[in-house]
Amino acid sequence: MPILSVITFFPLAGAVLLLALPRGRGKAVKLAANVVTGLEFAATLLLLRGFDPGTAEMQFVERAPWIKSAGIQYLLGIDGISLLLVLLTSLLTFLATLSSWKAVAHRLKEYYVFLLLLEVGMIGVFVSLDLILFYVFWEVMLVPMYFLIGIWGGERKLYAAIKFFLYTLFGSVMMLIGILVVRGHYGTFDWTAMTGAGTFLPAALQGWVFLAFALGFAIKVPMFPFHTWLPDAHVEAPTAGSVILAGVLLKMGTYGFVRFSLPLFPEASRKFAPLMIGLALTAIVYGALVSLMQKDMKKLVAYSSVSHMGFVMLGLFAFTPLAIKGAVLQMINHGISTGALFLIVGVLYERRHTRLIADFGGLSSRMPVYAAVFLIMAMSSIGLPGLNGFIGEFMILMGVFPVNWIWTAVAGLGIVLGAGYMLWLYQRVMFGRLDNPANASLADLSAREFATFFPLLVLVFWIGIFPKPFLAVIDQPVEKIVRIVHPEKEAAAVGAGPAEVR
Amino acid sequence: MGLALAPEIAVLAAAVAAIFVHLFGKERGGRAAGAVALAGISAALPALILAGRSGGQFFAGSFTLDGFAVFFKAVVLSGGLLAIAFSFRYFRHEGTEPGEAYDLILLAIVGMMFAVSATDLVAAYVAFETFAIPSYILTGFCRRDKRSPEAAVKYFFLGTLSSGIMLLGMALVFGLTGETNFAAIGRILNGAGEPLALTGMILFFAGLFFKAALVPFHMWAPDVYEGAPVPIAVFLSTAPKAAVFALLIRVAAGLFGRFEAQWTGLFQVLALATMFWGNLAALLQRNIKRMMAYSSIAHAGYIAIGLAAWGGPGRTAVMFYLFVYVFMNAAAFGLVLLWTKGSGFGEEVSDLRGLARMSPLAAASLVFVLLSLTGIPPTAGFMGKYLLFQAAVGRKLYLLAAAGALNSAISLFYYFRIGRAMFMEERPSDSAAARPSPSVVAVLALCALILLILGVLPHLVSDWASAATFLNP
Repeated sequence: MPILSVITFFPLAGAVLLLALPRGRGKAVKLAANVVTGLEFAATLLLLRGFDPGTAEMQFVERAPWIKSAGIQYLLGIDGISLLLVLLTSLLTFLATLSSWKAVAHRLKEYYVFLLLLEVGMIGVFVSLDLILFYVFWEVMLVPMYFLIGIWGGERKLYAAIKFFLYTLFGSVMMLIGILVVRGHYGTFDWTAMTGAGTFLPAALQGWVFLAFALGFAIKVPMFPFHTWLPDAHVEAPTAGSVILAGVLLKMGTYGFVRFSLPLFPEASRKFAPLMIGLALTAIVYGALVSLMQKDMKKLVAYSSVSHMGFVMLGLFAFTPLAIKGAVLQMINHGISTGALFLIVGVLYERRHTRLIADFGGLSSRMPVYAAVFLIMAMSSIGLPGLNGFIGEFMILMGVFPVNWIWTAVAGLGIVLGAGYMLWLYQRVMFGRLDNPANASLADLSAREFATFFPLLVLVFWIGIFPKPFLAVIDQPVEKIVRIVHPEKEAAAVGAGPAEVR
Repeated sequence: MGLALAPEIAVLAAAVAAIFVHLFGKERGGRAAGAVALAGISAALPALILAGRSGGQFFAGSFTLDGFAVFFKAVVLSGGLLAIAFSFRYFRHEGTEPGEAYDLILLAIVGMMFAVSATDLVAAYVAFETFAIPSYILTGFCRRDKRSPEAAVKYFFLGTLSSGIMLLGMALVFGLTGETNFAAIGRILNGAGEPLALTGMILFFAGLFFKAALVPFHMWAPDVYEGAPVPIAVFLSTAPKAAVFALLIRVAAGLFGRFEAQWTGLFQVLALATMFWGNLAALLQRNIKRMMAYSSIAHAGYIAIGLAAWGGPGRTAVMFYLFVYVFMNAAAFGLVLLWTKGSGFGEEVSDLRGLARMSPLAAASLVFVLLSLTGIPPTAGFMGKYLLFQAAVGRKLYLLAAAGALNSAISLFYYFRIGRAMFMEERPSDSAAARPSPSVVAVLALCALILLILGVLPHLVSDWASAATFLNP
């Protein structure tokens, strides 16, 4: 069975099903959407059966000619890195759908159709190995997100929606030109053939093409100074949109770097690494400082993403196996903890229709379960040992340290600041006196709401305590990338593998 | 030979029949003339398939029927078909059914069909004027709206001026070579060095650039597309553009092959100027017709990228893009007909507010058309841009390709003003809750479907185009 095609297009079939439902059947639409995304998650879990973690090769490969005259193929396949991201996508989409049950009240059918179309684009991005096919999914995903922000978003939704769309489109069209130049060299859009060819673009051209790709990916990550769309989009989007934006969409940028930029343009990657790391360190500190200043909870979480994604970029461009593994794991961790934090903010917004930190205080007495969940997720975001964030950040810092200890020190400063803004947020919202009468009657998490957090809580502890299964699947693919992009680092790291953190 | 001309004869016969039908048909005559026109074009399409099987040269080499001509005839006929489909709705609302509009559209189509086959200076000029003159009249058809006759006069003066310039270029070429046949001229010009021939080429091209509305020859286009009745704007912005680009390719390859370095350089400059000017000017517009007029200028700029890249891939890209362009541009102008407002149609972007609630099918189709115009997959517009940029990159015109890509990002901003109005803004409660016209919705949905099919399976047309780029001057 072509399982990758099935998981890619199953949500599309679900969207068609939703369109076929008669008007005015709100509950049926909601139920169908939840069933579809739930089944989709179950289907992606099937990938674990038959996935071989012992190889860096692409698995479940599906290959068919698509546009013969242009040499474009329908080529799907996954390795350990994409496997984790596909699982993250299907899980977060399911949880985002579940969290929308009460939060979205009008134009239900359209909402869930866009959500499902979004999932098609996201899964497609992580499983495509033909560059044009990848580009198609990359762009397809923009449209439903534009409508999700623009129709169901907050006050400044129209501005945020078009800003998101324009920014990301601008980056991706430059990537398209880069893709065409790459094809000029290799004569194919097939990623497996390119990485197997053993040749690379000539150095001068490679630099330009790297920059063209990097623009597309950097806007998505978003790297400083391309991050300005992020606070608008994340804040104005409905909760489910923010969860998916932060949890999955940002990962597409870092995924693009690790899947395409590093192995296809190794020379340019090394050449531009100081620039990328400089920007990553700037993002870590700047994002954290701006987070400290926020009055709006959602905006705080949004800016914290800028900081956390800086960590991922730092790990990727350190080129040591440990740092890159940490970066890939941190992509998953950030999806879990920031996704959860947006859900947490969404819970309060649904009840009080405000996100201002000053409107809250002392909630822990009213909502003990909520307080516990919030605390765990905040700690996960800070990187408390025993929780998932620690493993990722620690591996990145460990991997970066032998390359340049100053980078590690600056990143460490980011962690301290991160603890600052998160704990301060928690303190202001959850502790203190409950002096706002509007908060006196707040209800704790309902069973449905708790259900949306439960899988994330499990993952937070699982990755924090026993990350081995997650690291095992990314081990070989990362080693392969390091072999291509920086052979010396790979040799140096033999024997000094990630044993320390196991 | 009879078979080779069968498509033209079918359209011409329909034109003549339509004249008599609306003359003698009294008040229902206009509608009947429209039906005749539709039948004529519908008959011409299968006739074209039959004619394409034979091929060859006729009338002492002045009329060539090759794959290239057949492709463009199909494009022109599609544009005509869409224009007539929108005409029914437009003229019913206007209250008058001027049958002569249908005659003139058909006559213009005949002119274009000859133009894409012309391989002789005289034949080319006559064919060119045969579609230019009906265009001037059609532009002024809406006497109620002051903008319409004004546009017609402007179009007429600038159009005849440009025809004159083109004729001057032709005269120079004829004077230098003593021949009117493209192949014969090509042989002479490509053999001997003749600096004056470059002047002839530039004058000749200037006339064509004017009709293709390439910046800086575009001045007439916004006024004409805004002033002309909507179905006529649909027609004028699609079919003639295809015919003119076909003639341009034939002339550039056949007559002036020696100057390839010069004219590909020229096309690069024109492509840059046209894309940026069209898109930046469109950003400022609120009137849909005027916005789409600038947008269609910008699209001519994208097409010029393919001409600058030239070669098989460049020409294939141009042909594919023109094919797709007809459907997306027709829909972009036709959407104005969805809703009436006052005595006319809602031409402002704000008139589309709330369409997603009133007719989800129309709104979804239009979003698809807008995505295609912007060049976002999975639409045919994306595949067209992909082919154009690929051709440019293949010629190492990296900056030109990047400029094209940048422009498609710019264009998103104004196209999605319409998307925003349809989906994110509410219809004001005081406006009439009229339902959007079902016939217009049907045509828009059809265009969107074609754009989807060609977005997923572009080779259905691109392989055809690629096989037809072989020129036989």
